[in-house]
Amino acid sequence: MGSSTALKELQRELENKANDLSKLQKDIAKNHQVRKKYTIQLGENELVLKELDLLNEGANVYKLIGPVLVKQDLAEANANVRKRIEYISAELKRFDATLQDLEEKQNSKRDSVLKLQQRIQSLQAGKAKA
Amino acid sequence: MEEQLKGTVTPLASLFPVDEAQKAVQRVQEAISEKEKELDRLKGFIADNTNLVNLVQRLPDELHHDIMARFLSLLCVPFGKAAFFPGRLVHTNEFMVLLGEGYYTERTAKQTVEILKRREKMLDSQVDSLKANVHDLKAEASFFDTTVAEAAEGLVEIREDYVEESSIAEQSELDGTKDEDEEYKRMMSRLDELEKEELAAEGEQTDASDSDDESGEDDHLTTTESENETYDDEQALAVDGDNQSSEYKQTKPNSDENSNQTYRNRKVRFSEESLTKQPQQPKFTNTTANVLSDEVQSQIDFSKNSNCTGLAGQLASTDEKSSSKSLAHKHSISAEKSSMLPEVKEKVEALSLSRNEVPAQLSKSGFDSRKAFTGSIVEHNHNLQVNTQEQSSSSSQTAGSEPSKPVSRFKMQRR
Repeated sequence: MGSSTALKELQRELENKANDLSKLQKDIAKNHQVRKKYTIQLGENELVLKELDLLNEGANVYKLIGPVLVKQDLAEANANVRKRIEYISAELKRFDATLQDLEEKQNSKRDSVLKLQQRIQSLQAGKAKA
Repeated sequence: MEEQLKGTVTPLASLFPVDEAQKAVQRVQEAISEKEKELDRLKGFIADNTNLVNLVQRLPDELHHDIMARFLSLLCVPFGKAAFFPGRLVHTNEFMVLLGEGYYTERTAKQTVEILKRREKMLDSQVDSLKANVHDLKAEASFFDTTVAEAAEGLVEIREDYVEESSIAEQSELDGTKDEDEEYKRMMSRLDELEKEELAAEGEQTDASDSDDESGEDDHLTTTESENETYDDEQALAVDGDNQSSEYKQTKPNSDENSNQTYRNRKVRFSEESLTKQPQQPKFTNTTANVLSDEVQSQIDFSKNSNCTGLAGQLASTDEKSSSKSLAHKHSISAEKSSMLPEVKEKVEALSLSRNEVPAQLSKSGFDSRKAFTGSIVEHNHNLQVNTQEQSSSSSQTAGSEPSKPVSRFKMQRR
């Protein structure tokens, strides 16, 4: 009788853990997506920066804000782009850190889930014998 | 001999189960198709880009374009969702270029084309990297494919531990079984090889000896002169019988310690002759070949000098001692021709004396005397290292092609 209640408890625990694990996996996938977006943006920004560097001093630069093109100073635009690149790089680093963290968590969760499964199996086997 | 090496045989199918490998193939194929889609996309971008470049280059040709005139090529001004109306393009040399991230800039057609060209380059590099990627994946896929096929065929994988000096085992094996005939055959083939190398090396050596100083040339003289005598003597020795030839075997390795290029040359020539004239003496040729191989080895770490030649010649004379030749006569010859240091001579004499006293001695005494002998050589070596630098270089070529055998015989004797 005691063993069956223990089994039930274990199964509940397993369920919780499995839920946690799937949540973690979702997080990781989301993170990956965002990270990919950021890397693309970074590449684009670098391209822009390169082109801006190639422009001569008097060139007109506009920024599309909503529906209107707003004229911008070249130096200002340049500074903006640089700042944006910096920001994106920082963001990427942060994402890397969180991703690593999440993956570690995922691994530990997976291990615990596996252990739980084994325990449940052994319990069930013992029950079947008895 | 090979059969005795440890090895494992595993069927390939157990290492890579067929269905698993097939799964892997599938996965890789999926990855490839994904990459290829990407590649297609990039290629579409590139085509668009080149079209755009063409258009931009053509636009400033005219001051203005009637858009309606291009109606058939579907270029007209859209008005709302449903309607188009004819229009005119003016300011055909002014472009508002999107740099990305919402930044636009005013450019002329020429500048625009430059920007577009740069973009094209970027795209090209991306395409290249993707292609390389796809190539790698394809290689992987083909590997998996072959693995699947092989596993399905029931191929087995045979693994053997690599024994670095496998010829040691081989040789000791041979010796243990006293399989002289086989060894003899082997040695014969090896001697043929050495012969060829010798011929090649001699061509170089004549060049090298030109730059050698006089003592080097003296050596050549010494060895070639004494060659005939030693040849005769050793032939007689070989005929003498088992007892003596075994003794000969014992003494020979001594000389490998202080071998040099010229000595080896002589030996090779000598053995050639003996082989052609008396090929029915396997034991004898064996020993010579052993010496040869030992010498090849020892030449790598042993630097040659002219006095060594003298020593070698004298050593040959110590061998002859056992076949009752006058030692003193020999000594005088070599003493005259090679400017040997007295102490070394004494050593050699002592060595030959000991040999005289115990002619049928076994390997123990041979070892001792050899040790003493090596000692004398070592203290003597550094003096004349420079002389034969070039010889050693030429000899190292021959040595390099026969890496392991020489070591083995030598080490075997040590055991």
